[in-house]
Amino acid sequence: MNNTTIESLISLKGINKGYKINNNYLPILQDVFLTIKTGESCALLGASGSGKSTLLNILGLLDSVDAGEYRFAGHDVCSATPDELAAIRNQQIGFVFQSFNLIPRLNAIENVALPLRYRSMKPGDARQRAQQMLAEVGLEQRAHHRPADLSGGQRQRLAIARALVGQPSLILADEPTGNLDPGTADDIMDLLISLNRAHDVTLVVVTHDSAIARRLNRQIRVTNGAVQELCPCPA
Amino acid sequence: MSRVMPGRGRSALLLMHDVSSSLRTLGKRSVLALLGIAIGSSSVVAMINIASNAAEEASMIFKGMGVNTFVAHLSTANEKRTPAYATFDAGQFRKAVPNLLNIAPTAYVGASVVFKGRSLNADLIGSTGELMDAMDLTLRAGRFMSEFDQGETYVVVGHSLAETLGAADEPLRTGDRIRINNYLFQVIGILQDRPDTLLIPIRANDSLFLTLNGMRRISPLAQIRNVIIRVSPDQEINAAATALVDPLKQLPGVTDVAMLLPHQLMDGMSRQNRTFAYLLLALGAISLVGGGTGVMNVMLMNVTQRRREIGVRMALGACRRDIRNLFMLEAITLTAVGAFCGGVLGIGFAFMYAHLSDWTFFLAPAALPLGVISTLGVGVFFGLYPAVLASRLQPVEALRDE
Repeated sequence: MNNTTIESLISLKGINKGYKINNNYLPILQDVFLTIKTGESCALLGASGSGKSTLLNILGLLDSVDAGEYRFAGHDVCSATPDELAAIRNQQIGFVFQSFNLIPRLNAIENVALPLRYRSMKPGDARQRAQQMLAEVGLEQRAHHRPADLSGGQRQRLAIARALVGQPSLILADEPTGNLDPGTADDIMDLLISLNRAHDVTLVVVTHDSAIARRLNRQIRVTNGAVQELCPCPA
Repeated sequence: MSRVMPGRGRSALLLMHDVSSSLRTLGKRSVLALLGIAIGSSSVVAMINIASNAAEEASMIFKGMGVNTFVAHLSTANEKRTPAYATFDAGQFRKAVPNLLNIAPTAYVGASVVFKGRSLNADLIGSTGELMDAMDLTLRAGRFMSEFDQGETYVVVGHSLAETLGAADEPLRTGDRIRINNYLFQVIGILQDRPDTLLIPIRANDSLFLTLNGMRRISPLAQIRNVIIRVSPDQEINAAATALVDPLKQLPGVTDVAMLLPHQLMDGMSRQNRTFAYLLLALGAISLVGGGTGVMNVMLMNVTQRRREIGVRMALGACRRDIRNLFMLEAITLTAVGAFCGGVLGIGFAFMYAHLSDWTFFLAPAALPLGVISTLGVGVFFGLYPAVLASRLQPVEALRDE
C-alpha cells in the first residue's frame, strides 16, 4: 500500500493499447486516465468496438498494456510477473462474463469453489464457503447440478457466486445481462448492486444499456479509445 | 507483494482431487481418449512381440545342431581308378588332434534293397562304428556296427526305411536278412527316428549303414566322400579342423579337403537374425509412429477443446504451474491407464497370433517397455505441450473463442 495517502483501488495513467493486424497497428485505447475508488460502482458504456471490453480486460489483469501506468490496490501491474497477476486476480478480482464461462464438466458447487482451490484452501472448507455463496445467490438447491442443467439466469447467478466466493475487492462484469431476458436481467443487476452495497465490493459493469448504467454511481463512456465521465458522482 | 504470492505449497492431495474430478467428469470423452491410446499402445506391443516371435521361430531351424561336430568333404582326382578303402585308421587322426572324440568316414552309394519280396531304393552308407557317436544316433533295437564287424555282412537300418521295408504283420526285426544286389545282409540294429540336420549330409532315416568292407562288396569303387568329426566341447573347433586337413589329404586319391564347420552355418544364421532385427526395428518404428500419432491426436484434441477452460481457470487465479500440473497429471493418468490396457491387449493379440500360426509364444523383452514408454512419452508431451502454450498466452487470448 502507498504509505502517504489512501490509494484508489484502480489508477490508470496514460494507458495505450492496440493490436497488430496484418502489420498495421490498430489502436484501441489511447491515453486513458481513470481512477476508481473502493466501493464505487461504475458503468462502462460505449458502442461495439469502442474499446470498452479491452479496457475491462486490462482492468481485470487479463491483458497487457502497451504504454502507461496501471496501479491496482497498490501493486504496479505493469511490472508484475504472470504468476503474480494470477495471484492478484485470484484474491482481489471476481469476473462475471457475458457467456458465463462456467466449466461445463464441474457441478455448481465445484465451479464456485474453483477460485478457492487456487489459493490452497482445503477442499472441505472450500465446499463449505461455496455452499454459503450459493445460498447467497439463491442456488442452494442446485449445488449438484451441472451448468447445462441450469437456466441462463441461474448460470449467471452461479458465475456471480464464483466471482464473489474469494471475497474480492473488485467485481468486473462484462455485459452480465447480455444473454438474458429483461426480467432475469433486472434480477441479476439487483443482485450485483445489492452485493456491491452489502460487501462494499467495487463493481465495474460493461454495458450498452443506459438504463442499467443509470443504476450505478458512475457512468464512463468509451468512445474511439478515449474515456469520458458522464456523471461523476463522488462516493 | 508477499500477500499475493502464488500458493507455492499447493498440496498434491488437492491436485489429485482436481485430476480425479476432472477425469470423472471427462466421462465419455476420456473413454474415447483411452480407447485411442490403448489401440496405439497395443499396436506397438503386439507388432514388436509378433515380430520377435517370428524371428525366434525362424532361427529354430538351426537349433539342435551340434556345435562341436563338423564335416570334412573330400575331393578325389579320379574316382574310377582308386579302389574303395576296406579300413579306416582313426588312430593317425587322433595323433594330430588329441581331443578328437569321434572320426567317422562315410562312403555313399545308392542301391536297391529287397526284403521279403519288397524292393526299395535306399542310401547305403559305408562307415565305421564311430559314426553312431559322431552323428549322435540312437538305436531302437539291436546294436550298431563295431570294429570287429569289418568282415561281416551286417547292416543297421534307418527308422523310416525299416518302417517301409517291413509290413504291418511282419515288421523288420534284427536278425532278418536283406538282399542288396546279390549279397544277403543281416540286420543287427534299427535306428530311432532322427530328423535331418543342415550340417551332416546323411539322411539317417532313409539310410542303410554297413561296414566299409561290406560297402566294397556292393560297389568296389565307392569312395569316402565325407568324414564326420566330433571334438570335445573344450576343443577349439577351427584349430581341430585346420589340424586335420593335412592328415586327411594323406588318404589315397584325395586331392582336396573342404571343411564344413557349424559356425559357417551360424554365420548364415546370424545374418538372418540381423535381417530380422532390421525388419523388427522397422516394424517397431512404423508402429511407434502410427500408435504415437493416434495418441498425439487424442491428446491434442483433448487440450485444444479446453483452451477456453484454461483461460477461465487463469482468470480465476490459476498460475501457469497450476495449469501445467493439472494437464500433466491428467495426461499421465490417461496415458498410463491407456498404455497399460494397450499393453495387455497387445500381448493378448500377439499370443493369439502366435497360437494361430503354431509358433511358440514368448514375451519379447522390448515389446512392453517400448510400447508403454513411447505411449507415455507421446501422450504426456502432446497432452502437456499445448496446455503449456495456452497457459503462456494472455488470459484474454485463451478466453477468446477459437
